[in-house]
Amino acid sequence: MIKRLCAMTLAAGLAAATPASARFALWRGELSAQAPAPATTPGANQERDFLTRVRRLTVEGKRAGEGYWAPDGKRLVFQSERDATNPFYQIYVLDFATGETKRISPGIGKTTCAFFRPGSDQILFASTHHDPKSKQYQDEELAFRASGKERRYAWDYDTEMEIYALSEKSGALTRLTNAKGYDAEAGYSPDGQWIAFSSMRDAYNRTLSPQEQKQLETDPSYFGEIYIMKADGTGQRRLTTTPGYDGGPFFTHDGQHIVWRRFDEQGLIADVWMMKIDGTEAKQITQFKSMSWAPYEHPSGEYFFFASNKLGFENFEVYIVDKAGAKEPVRVTYSDGFDGLPVPSPDGTQLAWTSSRSGGGAGQIFLAQWNHEAAKKALAAAPSRK
Amino acid sequence: MRNPIRLIALALLLASGAAHAQTAVAVQSPTRAHVEVLASEKLEGRMAGSPGEKLAADYLVKELQRIGAKPLPGQADFRMPFNFTAGSKDGGSTVTVTRAGASPQTFSTPAQVQALSFSDNGEVSGPVVVAGYGLVVPESQNFGYDSFTGLDVKDKVVVVFRYFPEDADQQTRATLARYSGLRYKAQAARQRGAKALLVVTGPRSPNAGEVVPMSFDTALAGSGLVAASANGAVADAIFAAMPGKTLEAVQKEFDSGNPHVAGFAVPDLTITVKAAVERERQTGHNVVAYLPATNAMAGTAAANVQKPWVVIGAHYDHLGRGATGSSLAAKEDAGQIHHGADDNASGTAAVLAMAEALSKQPRKRNLMVAFWSAEELGLIGSNAFVTTPPVPTTDMAAYLNFDMVGRSTDNKLTVQATGTAAMWPKMLEQANIAAGFDLVLQEDPYQPTDVSSFNQASVASLAFFTGAHVDYHKPSDVASKVNFEDLDRIVTFAGSITRRLLDMDEAPLFTKVEQKTDTGGGRAGMRIFTGTIPDYATEVKGLLLSGVIGGGPAEQAGLQKGDVIIEISGQSIANIYDYTYALELLKIGQPAKVIYMRGGERRETTLTPAARK
Repeated sequence: MIKRLCAMTLAAGLAAATPASARFALWRGELSAQAPAPATTPGANQERDFLTRVRRLTVEGKRAGEGYWAPDGKRLVFQSERDATNPFYQIYVLDFATGETKRISPGIGKTTCAFFRPGSDQILFASTHHDPKSKQYQDEELAFRASGKERRYAWDYDTEMEIYALSEKSGALTRLTNAKGYDAEAGYSPDGQWIAFSSMRDAYNRTLSPQEQKQLETDPSYFGEIYIMKADGTGQRRLTTTPGYDGGPFFTHDGQHIVWRRFDEQGLIADVWMMKIDGTEAKQITQFKSMSWAPYEHPSGEYFFFASNKLGFENFEVYIVDKAGAKEPVRVTYSDGFDGLPVPSPDGTQLAWTSSRSGGGAGQIFLAQWNHEAAKKALAAAPSRK
Repeated sequence: MRNPIRLIALALLLASGAAHAQTAVAVQSPTRAHVEVLASEKLEGRMAGSPGEKLAADYLVKELQRIGAKPLPGQADFRMPFNFTAGSKDGGSTVTVTRAGASPQTFSTPAQVQALSFSDNGEVSGPVVVAGYGLVVPESQNFGYDSFTGLDVKDKVVVVFRYFPEDADQQTRATLARYSGLRYKAQAARQRGAKALLVVTGPRSPNAGEVVPMSFDTALAGSGLVAASANGAVADAIFAAMPGKTLEAVQKEFDSGNPHVAGFAVPDLTITVKAAVERERQTGHNVVAYLPATNAMAGTAAANVQKPWVVIGAHYDHLGRGATGSSLAAKEDAGQIHHGADDNASGTAAVLAMAEALSKQPRKRNLMVAFWSAEELGLIGSNAFVTTPPVPTTDMAAYLNFDMVGRSTDNKLTVQATGTAAMWPKMLEQANIAAGFDLVLQEDPYQPTDVSSFNQASVASLAFFTGAHVDYHKPSDVASKVNFEDLDRIVTFAGSITRRLLDMDEAPLFTKVEQKTDTGGGRAGMRIFTGTIPDYATEVKGLLLSGVIGGGPAEQAGLQKGDVIIEISGQSIANIYDYTYALELLKIGQPAKVIYMRGGERRETTLTPAARK
């Protein structure tokens, strides 16, 4: 259900009073059994320590999220449910100069997790449009929504999800992965030559034990691992082998490392990890005893952004943590509901993130000026990790 | 901004000292001079129908002429007059109670008898029927409650209790509260042939034994029934005719909420009700102009697009010296000029500035520029306009309203009525990429401002609003507190949307938004004081508090700014409507459990409501 992204949909789902999946019911119990988190006085004004001129960027449609910047900072690619005939996410590019937003994905099926390729006219994203059943799924979902019924929003880890690269100039769509199991959550290296991604193919390319088979039926994300491939899709190689969901990988700005989030085997706790791009020297950055995920490095290379529900199961907030993870993370956002998927602009002066603060439970993309100096100061002043 | 249901709790806004950040003002603000003139002492608060309104209208006309706008087609003048009731007071109402064989007792002091503001003037006599709380729940509600069942009230004087049964279970109270407005009770009595309605506030209710104060009512005529309220002394005289029945005992029977507790006739008694309401009639002026379409094919240009008019508007009237009920001035400031810089010199200035900027651009549609009066008295000017529109409302592609747009804080801008056309979110998203506001969207067009009039007329609309504040409806709403930098940004933002609307070939398709709450016969009126200050500019789930009143019940309960109330006394609270509704069901002096969120943490407290007058 969770992926680097769609915890936002998780937060939205929680707001609805529908029965929780087994996993989340369990989770809820886990977290409420803990003592309340240390009190930090909340308030929008505290958020202004780091974020100023906060603004809502996306307005149209039911939900939007996962905004990633073009290398020149002039555009943002994101996913949104805003098509009357397709209830699933499609990929859109927003141009800050004109205010125009256009869909770049096929319009059919489900898509997620787009990323601009540096030094190129390509944009990658994951899509299921090749699945002949796509239209049928759309119609079924539309009919379900029209019925007025509600259910918890769940990310389904569609096994048809494959990674594609679109050439903006030619419109050519190149399929980069072709493995049974969910392939998505991809990002390019700063030189545009490599792609890191998450895949659940491990569940399908070997014989599973009965226990694993059961696991696959209840929660396929358990099989999620980090992979790397060349920008043309060749040379696909697995980098992680730990049981439990590894996902949401991004290259650091020096191109030497991958930062991602790793769930424990039960899928209850996640933390931010970093490794070299060959998969060696994996190192845990956070030990936040909560669901900490969606890490992204600030362009200065000095710290990571991430999101965590440390302060309450339904209350995700954005945090920053020093690169070595030596200090306690510093809280950035202060608003009830979901704040996550933080992505700084290429020049490091702005932050785009996904938040449910505009009400209605579903996320939209917000944008603010980012105070890098204040962030450095706060990190320096943060207490050492116990 | 008018002061109706939504702003009920705003009426609780006392001087809690929220500091207002002053922003550096750009040297050449296109709005600043307008706001300073309109909010100046000279215009004396721009009360509809007053000399101050006239001066304001003169200023607007001069500005419209300067930018080259013209009176609407077929109109000789920019000023478009309409009549309204400026106020009402009791002109000496009396009640005479006559028992067979006894000498008549007449009650005539204001403490004993007051006409209801919507009463017909006249004197009627008749036998007396007590009809409980006088409640009728429409059949459509499937609830089965009619205080008049089995009673013959034709040509009688009907005596009813104010409010709704005090001891009924919560569900019943929740339903009955909706139909307990006095106008609704009067209508029910009239439809059943009653001659008069006499309202008594029972000893077991708030404001026990007191008459209902004459409220401000802008209706031009009465409601077709003689209606008054009487105090406990009058009630005692009535029940003196029935040995063994006291007012309190009678109320207690009805308080169960059991629909089978029947009303009864009072034998051997005649009541004469003389109701006298003095209504002061005045004339207000909307100021309306237009900038014609400028296509090469002048004259025919506007005909080539769907719906050739785009309307931008703001009300320019305010409260004068606060003589009407909606002033929130502290006692020591009573009678001072209410400057209305934010409400609504800000919106007026925004519309003028937009019109001036747009006057220099080509456009395919006509731009109508409208300034409404008597908004503060109940959207009277804009209602008069859409009722007899000089241009068919079906020719209007869109209406954009600006009311209280001068107090943006923290980059926030609320846009309301976005549910009236499917294309609004996309247009707002695109225009806001450049403008950069932290937009808060509200689909609901049933807002306490002129956008409501246009929604009723099926015109796709938007309303811009920067939120309520501590100076709302007080003399302290002055120009120096206006955030001109962000007001000017709103002019640019809304101006770009208006320009799109003027230039595109198609017109927004009007969508009817269902009204969220069925207000039925109107509310009983708030009778509970909690000391909360709701934040109206957000759409968080629950009720976000923008503050609490010092010393009030909320503060005593430990609630504070930023808390989000999600449940009161077992009623879940999703929005302001739920909240106002839940409040009506609380009991004064009876502690209620409140569940709220603070910083993502669920907390609980106990709040003991106090009484409001």
